[in-house]
Amino acid sequence: MAKIKMPRSSPAMDMTPLVDLGFLLVTFFMLTAQFRPEESVVVDIPSSRSQSAIPTENLMTVVVDSAGRVFWDFTDKKVRREVIKEMGNRYKIQFTPEQEQRFVSLGAMGMPMQQMPAYLSQEDAVGRHQMDLQSQGIPIDSTNNQLLEWIRVTQLIFSSGADGKNPIVALKGDGNVDYSVVNKVIKIFQSPTVKINRFKMITNLEESRMTASTSTK
Amino acid sequence: MAEVQQGDGGGGGGRHKKKRAKKGSTHIDMTPMVDLAFLLLTFFILTTTMYKPSTLQLTFPVPQDEQQKKDLEKVNNALTVFLTKNDQILYYRDAFKPGETQLARTNFNKITELLVTENKSTFDQVQALKRRFNANEIDQIAYDTLKNNIEKRPEALFVIIKPDKDAKYRNMIDMVDEMDISGIGKFAVQDTIKPDEQALLDAEKLKF
Repeated sequence: MAKIKMPRSSPAMDMTPLVDLGFLLVTFFMLTAQFRPEESVVVDIPSSRSQSAIPTENLMTVVVDSAGRVFWDFTDKKVRREVIKEMGNRYKIQFTPEQEQRFVSLGAMGMPMQQMPAYLSQEDAVGRHQMDLQSQGIPIDSTNNQLLEWIRVTQLIFSSGADGKNPIVALKGDGNVDYSVVNKVIKIFQSPTVKINRFKMITNLEESRMTASTSTK
Repeated sequence: MAEVQQGDGGGGGGRHKKKRAKKGSTHIDMTPMVDLAFLLLTFFILTTTMYKPSTLQLTFPVPQDEQQKKDLEKVNNALTVFLTKNDQILYYRDAFKPGETQLARTNFNKITELLVTENKSTFDQVQALKRRFNANEIDQIAYDTLKNNIEKRPEALFVIIKPDKDAKYRNMIDMVDEMDISGIGKFAVQDTIKPDEQALLDAEKLKF
């Protein structure tokens, strides 16, 4: 009887599918990753046990940093563009398309309207950062309540494009800021012209407390 | 020199033929490429930080008219909590009686214990419900509804949180977070501190 000849396979494997897979994954992760937007303000947010996630769209964020300065932010670029146009109208400031574009691509804004054109004319991030450091934030005094104006314009623009719905409102405060400053912002939320009585407070998920509280049970 | 080469080429015959390009295999060794691909993959995964903050939902009462404020004062089984400087907490039970009410003092390490003791029956029921949920006896929707019902019962503890002017925002967040930990569904954050309360508060604050 003739011996059955086993086909001799080469010990070198064909690596091509593995390469395909590797690069596919690399491409996938690189394309799905989002860059963290340039942050004009750094806040140390307090932690809580709440696990409900933060919405990624239709979200208006009011930031209060450790010095008590107030910033405004919105997630959707289309709304941002309309908001800065309308804010320009209300404060009699004409923004160039380049300035509008810069506003749209940036994150939280903490400039009084009077300084906004100068801020948006800054070509590089270093210049903007310098202005951010010197800024007093969005004025919230009763005589010059620009935050109220920001919120009203945002609500107006957003609801006209989204069947009369209101944007989700989040408050992102630094843990060490005095409550009285945050309270001023909450009072503005509750003022009769904007009527925000439900809002979210952005916190970090605290794990140490979770384990501590379960161990005491 | 040239001649020698020429002669060489002519006389060599079959031994020194035309120089031919080496016939390589059409297969390329892909292993380094795989290495590279996975190196990049690992690098990107490791350098990416997951940044996903969570949120606490807070609802303020819509109309804060005089009638409601009076209703709030009449509410029984209430615990009024003042958040003040140095992460200290001062509290009193039920309605404020001028001259009688005294403030007790605690801090954020002991507040859970206090709230759970004050809210014992509700807390126990919520815990029992949680066990049933974890044992998959009820689904998420039923759990949320039942939990809400238990926490909003008329006899459940009502907590009024009043951060004073020395409180930090962190204190308020911690306190609202404690509400969830201790199974308290009825709470309100208020900024109105009555003059009587303020006087007591100032007296207590001198002690620390």
